[in-house]
Amino acid sequence: NIDPESLLPQLPSLEELRPFPTTCATLFRGHDGRVRSLTVDPSGVWLASGGDDGTVKVWELLTGRQIWSVKLGNEEAVNVVRWRPGTEAIILSAAIGDHVYLIAPPIGDPEIESKGREILDAGWGYAANGATSNTKKESATQWTRPGSRLEEEGVLVKFSLRKTVKVISWHRRGEYFSTVCPQAQSSAVAIHTISKHLTQLPFRKLKGLAQSALFHPSQPIFLVATQRYIRSYDLSKQELLKIIQPGARWISSFDVHPGGDNLIVGTYDRRLLWHDLELSVRPFKTLRYHQKAIRGVKFHQGGLPLFADASDDGSLQIFHGKVVGDMMENATIVPLKVLRGHGVKKELGVLDLDWHPTQPWLVSAGADGTCRLWT
Amino acid sequence: MATETLTATSTSDSPSQVRVLLSTRHPDISLPENPGPILVNTNLRRYALSTLVNTLLQSEKPIPFEFLINGTFLRTSLDEYLTANGISAESTLGVEYVRAIIPPLYLASFEHDDWVSAVDFLSETSPAGKWAGSAGARKSGQERMLSGSYDGFLRIWSMSSEVLATSPSASNGGHTSSIKAARYISPSHLASAGLDRTIRLWKYSEDPEGFTASISPQVELYGHKASIESLAVHQPSSRILSASADHTLGLWSTKKSDAPAAPTSLLPSSTSQSFKRRKMGPSTSTPQRGPLSLLKSHTAPVSHAIFAPNDHTVAYTTSWDHALKTWDLPTSTCVDTRSTSHSLLSLSALPALSLLAAGTSARHITLIDPRASATTVSAMTLRGHTNAVVSLAADPESNYGLVSGSHDGTCRVWDVRSSRSEKEGRVGESLYVIERESLKGERKKVGGEGVKVFDVVWDTSVGIVSGGEDKRVQVNRGKGMVAEKGA
Ligand SMILES: [Mg+2]
Repeated sequence: NIDPESLLPQLPSLEELRPFPTTCATLFRGHDGRVRSLTVDPSGVWLASGGDDGTVKVWELLTGRQIWSVKLGNEEAVNVVRWRPGTEAIILSAAIGDHVYLIAPPIGDPEIESKGREILDAGWGYAANGATSNTKKESATQWTRPGSRLEEEGVLVKFSLRKTVKVISWHRRGEYFSTVCPQAQSSAVAIHTISKHLTQLPFRKLKGLAQSALFHPSQPIFLVATQRYIRSYDLSKQELLKIIQPGARWISSFDVHPGGDNLIVGTYDRRLLWHDLELSVRPFKTLRYHQKAIRGVKFHQGGLPLFADASDDGSLQIFHGKVVGDMMENATIVPLKVLRGHGVKKELGVLDLDWHPTQPWLVSAGADGTCRLWT
Repeated sequence: MATETLTATSTSDSPSQVRVLLSTRHPDISLPENPGPILVNTNLRRYALSTLVNTLLQSEKPIPFEFLINGTFLRTSLDEYLTANGISAESTLGVEYVRAIIPPLYLASFEHDDWVSAVDFLSETSPAGKWAGSAGARKSGQERMLSGSYDGFLRIWSMSSEVLATSPSASNGGHTSSIKAARYISPSHLASAGLDRTIRLWKYSEDPEGFTASISPQVELYGHKASIESLAVHQPSSRILSASADHTLGLWSTKKSDAPAAPTSLLPSSTSQSFKRRKMGPSTSTPQRGPLSLLKSHTAPVSHAIFAPNDHTVAYTTSWDHALKTWDLPTSTCVDTRSTSHSLLSLSALPALSLLAAGTSARHITLIDPRASATTVSAMTLRGHTNAVVSLAADPESNYGLVSGSHDGTCRVWDVRSSRSEKEGRVGESLYVIERESLKGERKKVGGEGVKVFDVVWDTSVGIVSGGEDKRVQVNRGKGMVAEKGA
């Protein structure tokens, strides 16, 4: 007789898997209405958030002090805020309605501030010059100045994508970022080149409604999620590499492990799926921990074996996810902690999450109007 | 003899008695002649033992004592202690007595318009008061408090909670953003720093009656590229240390003539396209200077910097990078790094024990022996806070006392002699928890919302002084804590 328990792999104890976030350390209160999106800056000291009140705010991460705020609109919600990677400049991207804004918030020293302006201003006139040269591509949209009121606040560039922008993802070098406008059909996914103020639409023949998109962390690969599939493309050869099949009814978000070979997918049908791209296009593991839709999933990008998801049930689930650089060995996945505290408002709970770039700290944005830091 | 009334007269093998061997580490309260083991009733508690020691000391004015047995303060009767710890009444108990720290009671509040990030004191016993000697001594009741706020202003207060002076606004040479640190250099000189990345030195003057006073800009120090989180000053050598989120430790001179020129690229005038708030910028002509050096080795924000208690050429820093570093200031080099498992957010020295206390984001305090000879990184862990520990101050009257300020909205008072052995090593518990008076008995707030403590100082004359998110400075003092001195 073999004890079936003895056949299961030994999971490490919770104590051995520390540190991971366990408690709410800071509340960020100041948005009027839902907070839709949030992001910790690459230096790890600022939190940026955006929400239904049409504002983008920057906060001191540890104390919860609001240090900067700008109103981008009255009618529409700020659906996404993302910092540009890199610490030589402080640049924030934000989308409200069909508009994307690029911002150099006045929170850095004069050198950082001028570097930010330099990066954002470099593309002015490029499109005009480009028109005279055959080799240069034409931008799918015009990048413009947002007007003196916003420019004085540090909001320096604006352009429209005609449909609501739901997702912004930066390439690690900070020269490109992508946007997703799910309702925009053939122009749903756009890639923007910051130094040229150039917007391109390389996925004209995308099948299905685009949900999210990401640059691969180390290879020239771009991943696009529609409702049911995630397709990976070789950016240089412009060809489809793989169709990942989570088997979900409706994908809400996904993230790539910093190692590049593993992927997590969150779905509106309450599932969290782990894919090992070396193994299969089907999930390696399915995790069902939430009562309601999963809105966001994120891997820690700073070397800690952690990932988390955020759900409309008002909770976040923290997991240990250890990837070994070995084809023969599978990832170790251990649920660590449920973080509760966000209120559920009109069926909506936690709408976004982000990890600190180096610490085992998580931030979350809620329909209850608060952001929270968990340490 | 008075002891006869306390020690039992019944037979020596009675289980209601136990032999105790009294001792103390403080020469001024040690017993004149060693009485050896004393037989006492096991129903004695702290108060009766305190009376016994006072009788043996023949104290004119009784001193309240606490009793440590195997690292634990006696909180029950001896009998209950013996039972709880499975100790036979036959054995002789080693009992260490220490001056009791009286529960720090709420004394006063100083109300501000915005969050209070920094507090300091000028008294006969504060560092700046001692450096100034009799020239600047501020007698009891005449002490001055300095506060720094998120509204960008420094304020000097009388002990009756009156604002005597406020620093100038941004357009008149004041800070252009929130203050995060403020220190007295001398009775007439102040230093402050914060989110605007500058350290500002100020002149403070007050007429002898204390009716008019002013804070005026003296020097602006540029060099940091991110928020300055804390300052340490050493007046005798005219040096200032700054801990910055730009990952560096700054070393500065308080003397204009000694200080290098300011790096022009960091001056507010260097941005051609200045924002509105900078256009208001300094129209005044405050001299601008640069750092003596910016010391690089940390890989994340530096949270705190202090001078070594007995050697102002040595500095210690804590950082979010989990490390505590030792610096040799004359050569601007990092000479030692102690790595821990958590972000370190605050730092204070316990000089008599050669230990440093570091507060963490993980809600505890680690005691670290920084000497190269030390073999373990953590000598002890103090547990009890429920959020980040962002400020620490040593008890000015005890080598073993410490107060901590936390984002959980409390200050905690610790005696490092009180600890127990656990799997992870020595673990200490706090003696007292000081809540925010502004909470008025309300339920504890999630994430310390509205009540986070940002800074705490402990002064012999004034007490435990803490500032926080409730826009108040709160003063707490143990009744008789001061009067006890020299008893
Ligand atoms: Mg593998």
